[in-house]
Amino acid sequence: MPKITINGQEVEVEEGSTVIEAYKKLDENIAHYCWHPGLSIAGVCRLCMVEVEGHPRLQIACNTTVQDGMVVNNNSEKVRDTVKWGLDFHLINHPLDCPICDQAGECGLQEQYMEYGKYDPEMAERKVKKRKVVDLGPTVVLDSERCILCSRCVRFTEEVTETNELGIFNRGDRSEIGTFKDKPLDNKYSLNTVDICPVGALTSKDFRFRQRVWYLKEADTICTGCSTGCSVKVYYNEEGAWRVKPRHNPDINGYWMCDEGRDVYKFVNKDVRLLTGLQRKDGQNQELPSVDAAKLAGTVVRDELEKDKNGVALVMTGQFTVEETQSLVGTFAGDLGCKQVYHWINNEDSFDSFDGLLLRGDRNPNTKGLEKVLNDQAINNTWADLKQKLESGAIKTLVVAAPENPSLFPDLDEKIALFSKVQNLVWLSAAKNEALDGLNTNVWQVPLKTFIEKSGTYVNFQGKEQPVKAVTTIIEDALTLTEVAGLLKGSDVNVTDEAQKMTSLKYNYFTQKRGNL
Amino acid sequence: MSLVTRPGELSRWYLPGILSGLVFTFKKMVSNIFNKKKMPTLNYPEEQYEYGPRFKGNHVLTVKKDGSLRCTACMLCATNCPAQCITITAAEHEDPTVEKYPISYEIDVLRCVFCGFCEEACPVDAIRMGPEWQTAAISGSEFQYDIRQLAYRPSLQGGVESRVDEQERHSSGI
Repeated sequence: MPKITINGQEVEVEEGSTVIEAYKKLDENIAHYCWHPGLSIAGVCRLCMVEVEGHPRLQIACNTTVQDGMVVNNNSEKVRDTVKWGLDFHLINHPLDCPICDQAGECGLQEQYMEYGKYDPEMAERKVKKRKVVDLGPTVVLDSERCILCSRCVRFTEEVTETNELGIFNRGDRSEIGTFKDKPLDNKYSLNTVDICPVGALTSKDFRFRQRVWYLKEADTICTGCSTGCSVKVYYNEEGAWRVKPRHNPDINGYWMCDEGRDVYKFVNKDVRLLTGLQRKDGQNQELPSVDAAKLAGTVVRDELEKDKNGVALVMTGQFTVEETQSLVGTFAGDLGCKQVYHWINNEDSFDSFDGLLLRGDRNPNTKGLEKVLNDQAINNTWADLKQKLESGAIKTLVVAAPENPSLFPDLDEKIALFSKVQNLVWLSAAKNEALDGLNTNVWQVPLKTFIEKSGTYVNFQGKEQPVKAVTTIIEDALTLTEVAGLLKGSDVNVTDEAQKMTSLKYNYFTQKRGNL
Repeated sequence: MSLVTRPGELSRWYLPGILSGLVFTFKKMVSNIFNKKKMPTLNYPEEQYEYGPRFKGNHVLTVKKDGSLRCTACMLCATNCPAQCITITAAEHEDPTVEKYPISYEIDVLRCVFCGFCEEACPVDAIRMGPEWQTAAISGSEFQYDIRQLAYRPSLQGGVESRVDEQERHSSGI
């Protein structure tokens, strides 16, 4: 393996790797726009200039292969000056859009300008005007003026999705990114182009103008949109989550994630969540704290079990962490002695499908984990069995650990109609569900936490265990399934918030509460 | 050097203190009667004090030539605000040359410290601190100024026009 010296530090890198990879390995600072570790090398931005000892001219680090004994630096005055001029050329036609640009705050141009620029522009010519707010497809908006033609998005559609929707059209300072006629940028991975765009040329329709990025905090978690379990960052503030971006994980998702996975932030926000515990008894709806609702449901379940061992059943979905699943299934099979636990598979026909890149038909993050827990408890019940028992009225009380993301369960209404045949229904769910308010059975609804509010482990399709940490608390009254399991068996549970609720002065609680003085 | 002026020896006793105070009051009364112009008090609200042109009073949101808001909802004022009293909700405008505009712009004036940082942060001269300072209201919610109050209140007579013109900026190639 060749050894090279970078800014005075020696580093050993793999044969055939490039100088910029060595820089990244050492975590040394190097300016670059067009180079992306997940894409091919283009060498068009001319910003990653380095000085190689023995070479009369500066080289681009992204396309220079490492040789043994190379001595490289990028902190000399010559390199800094070259980068400064390169940046000046990039900014010739770049508009002063920062105030209305969504990328401001995480923009490559702003970062490099603060590092290398801070000059007065020396360009006397007028800026070339190009198209603004170009609708590229269902998810992405293009602003041609802001584009610096790094070609990352073009290479992405060429190499990763292989759909070739984007291209660079025209020549010289009139070149711009565009799509072909009647062929919009419409693939399942199109929003990755927004992530890799180093400037604000490509923006996401979903996130456009909704928040300034400096108001958002980011935290690492995993996507619960399907059984692939991509590593993601979630961006949130005190009002809730706002967007999801992929995080590099070489074992699972590489640098990318699918567009559908980016919607997982939507079901954690307050507007679609169950806020408190609900009791529907004898046709009367009543709100009560979630702990009380769970306790009441617990007494109902235990009373029923005393009367009839086979009168109670539990329906599980693969939406919960391994720890939660274990505690609830363990409580039922062990403490309560009820082995009637069933696995609700949401979209049976497409369960094993795979789109070839990341998205899987199994839209639950923890199916493998649930199956393992059920195997450990030697539970092997079929859905047909449950259906038959529900229809014959053998099951009087049913506990359902319902999906936190109901949009992935197309059969939800059909299943609720089936479940409503019992006398008592205990519905544990993070999501609000209006269909339950009008049922003829007694219903106890307990609000649960979503994946960003609790710590736990998810097992993805490969059987890889992925621990996640609680990010923030959105619904304070919500419980984890572990706490609900404890309350159902009648023990006292200390309900604690793992993640502190994010408070900030930005939202002026004092004003909202003041009303009339 | 002491910055505090200690009371004199006489005022340590009761009567001399009272008498010297009365003498001061009487002198002022006589001089005010004979020289009304020098009197510092104003007959508010008939007479009002005139502040300098750079006085930082109630906020004004400026408008464009067509009367729409100049604000681009960049949120720099809200970011810069030390009292965190500005709340903006941005939205996408139909006109692609405008792109972004505020659908709600609220200032909680009771929280505001009138420092003028919002005015300094604004890249398009959309918010200014105006000359008005009489902000009485009956209920607390009236101190939550919205766009109608900030840009189109009757005293502004249809809105103050911004100095930054978008057309000019575009034609000069910025």
